[in-house]
Amino acid sequence: MTDKPLSGLRVIERATGVAAAQAGRLLCQMGAEVIMAEPSEGSPLREEPPLLPGGQSALFTYLSLGKRSVVCDPAGPDFRKDMHKLLAEADIFIDDTPVAERTGLALDDAAIAREHPHIVHLSVLPFGAFGPKAGWKGDEINLIHAGGEGFLLPNGLTADLFPDRPPLKIAGHFAEMQGGTTAAMAALAALWTGEGQYVDASVQDANVAVGAFAIQRYGDGSVEHRLTRSFKFGGVIECADGYVELLTLETRQWLGLIDLLGAEDWAQDPELADEVGRSARGAEINQRIRDWARHRKVEDLVAQAQTLGVPMARYNAPQQVLTGLQETARGIFATIHTPDGPVQVQSLPFRFGPDALPVRDTLASLGADQSILSCQPGRRATA
Amino acid sequence: MKPLTGLRIADFTVHAAGPFCTHMLSQMGAEVIKVETALRPDIFRKSHAVYGRQGPATFDQVSSNKLSVRLNLKHPEGVALAKKLVGVADVAAESFRAGVMSRLGLGYEVLRGVKRDIVMVSVSSSGQTGPESHFAGYAPLFGAWGGLGYLSGHADGPPVEMRHVMDHSVGMHAALATLAALNRRRRTGEGCHVDVAAREVASSLVGDFLTAASAGVSVGRMGNDDLTRAPHGLFPTADTDRWLSISVSSDAEWKVLTTIIGQPHLADDPRFATQAERYANRRALDAPISDWTSGQGGEAAAERLQAAGVAAHLSWAASDIVSDPHMRARGAILDVAETDGNRRAAVGRPARFAGDDAPGITRGTPALGGDEDYVYGELLGLSGAQISALIEDEAIY
Repeated sequence: MTDKPLSGLRVIERATGVAAAQAGRLLCQMGAEVIMAEPSEGSPLREEPPLLPGGQSALFTYLSLGKRSVVCDPAGPDFRKDMHKLLAEADIFIDDTPVAERTGLALDDAAIAREHPHIVHLSVLPFGAFGPKAGWKGDEINLIHAGGEGFLLPNGLTADLFPDRPPLKIAGHFAEMQGGTTAAMAALAALWTGEGQYVDASVQDANVAVGAFAIQRYGDGSVEHRLTRSFKFGGVIECADGYVELLTLETRQWLGLIDLLGAEDWAQDPELADEVGRSARGAEINQRIRDWARHRKVEDLVAQAQTLGVPMARYNAPQQVLTGLQETARGIFATIHTPDGPVQVQSLPFRFGPDALPVRDTLASLGADQSILSCQPGRRATA
Repeated sequence: MKPLTGLRIADFTVHAAGPFCTHMLSQMGAEVIKVETALRPDIFRKSHAVYGRQGPATFDQVSSNKLSVRLNLKHPEGVALAKKLVGVADVAAESFRAGVMSRLGLGYEVLRGVKRDIVMVSVSSSGQTGPESHFAGYAPLFGAWGGLGYLSGHADGPPVEMRHVMDHSVGMHAALATLAALNRRRRTGEGCHVDVAAREVASSLVGDFLTAASAGVSVGRMGNDDLTRAPHGLFPTADTDRWLSISVSSDAEWKVLTTIIGQPHLADDPRFATQAERYANRRALDAPISDWTSGQGGEAAAERLQAAGVAAHLSWAASDIVSDPHMRARGAILDVAETDGNRRAAVGRPARFAGDDAPGITRGTPALGGDEDYVYGELLGLSGAQISALIEDEAIY
């Protein structure tokens, strides 16, 4: 594919949080022209850690490569005029301005629909823009718990080791990333209609969506809990030099595991012949697996397991991901030159042909593209 | 009208990630025709040894809204029928191991020959190419490969395995990529083969940490800590196993919090005067906050903190979510009627659209092959006799 799928789209992004910026990142890396409309002090994401050795935000770098930047300060006299100019030529407007502040800035859905009926107006807020909690604040840790997954972690080995500790979040900005991805998807769905419309995305909704099976299990009559939903056997397994993940769901995989373990003796027990029997004796099986793996090396185990069709993976540290055989072969990391020196940045986790989409590599300084506001505005008629 | 009304998807996906992709698209209006065979039903229709379940595990949610047809892809006539189905579809989605569709005679080039602008979406553990593309994997393995599992966990503990949210995050990314590919098709007239690699989704979710690590920054497991915010974490409430998440991002929020917890002097404590100092001394913050939260009902405490501008939320179980007025008002949770008359709570539309407020799910789990009259008869134009012959021959099976 020679052109990116969203080439030709223009997106205006007002983002103070990860979710809205993630939505913009995904659209940008797929080819849309994304213009960040930032306050005069810049998006707070510019200061958000992790930081590179020179102090530049790795998070902002990751979320904002390829985007353009104009200063469009809500406290400034030209804010409405400048936003109007930007939105007149845009296809999508991403905004995480709190609901209570929108009307005062003429950024509420009614005002946008009236002035820019062509646009897909994508609201991205922690709890959405509609409903009793529309005004609630939410950081990552609040949102992973509001969505239900926080309550369900950790499982397996960590839960066994620390049963009395509180629930545990997923690393980084998992919940907010779900919010951003879902929001971007919803925006493209709205765009598909060919007409502008308001789309109200919620990080909480997105996390409840990806946590859908807990909702279904509730419908089946069961409230899942982190200490009881561990895999009956398998899971995180400690080896001599690291950890692997093991999960066998199908009988042929179980047979492969028997082969891997060299367990032709005890595994022949008729009670272990079916899934229910194995499940009932999961703790015993798991103890055997843990004892067996403890003195073996990760790389040897994974290679043998995958050869036998047993799903097993190494728990890769960041450097192992960055230099992984598969990752390298697929070219998913690009070297980007920043003021802090060269860094590796991942491309999108999907591609539209044999090659990874090239990472757009320019990190805009604050207001680097201010001249956009001087251009003669056009005006779009449709989305 | 739902935004994707008029789109049709031939859905060959199995397990969780792929079906979730097409399920999301169905909630937004796409017609999704799920292809299955009684020879080897979707594993999620069956019991799971590792989960200890004897009945269908997690099939209902992702199958809702979908139409179901039986199709034996190991039978030449079954493959021929699959091609006909793709011929009337906009999207062909699958989630077998890399190479399986080609071996079945349904690879991208073949499908492109059937329908020139088809968008084929392949969801797999490691992608369609590369030395490990054949690796088997499920959600916890995606997280392990991608670094997300390694980075999750207590600083003094092992990595943490990802569960269904990992699968579904892959599916959500796949749905996004599908719509992007359709957008391009509309612009250029060209279809394409979308290759979604689950392990790459996992690593992309910690892309900032990977970028930092590439510059030599040390990153590792940090439990419930944030990199700057303090107080930040899970705090006990008056009720057993009910935990309150609190995150303080500014001096103003900290000052408000000290008042609410009845310890306003802490606002003047030099150890906690700035965000940087609070972070450096964050473990000393745990006790005074826990002392207060331990005497509070979690929901009331969250409401009080939110009213004062402090980010807080109770750690919710599914039982909390399904009954929440906010989620119900948004249509993010709804009730679904199954064909047996039972009703269950389900996850609804992924966002609210001004142009459509219809429920995301309008029908429950399809019976295996329950929509063959429509699909094979009405859509593909097969006669009753032709369908019967294919059933007799076990091409439809």
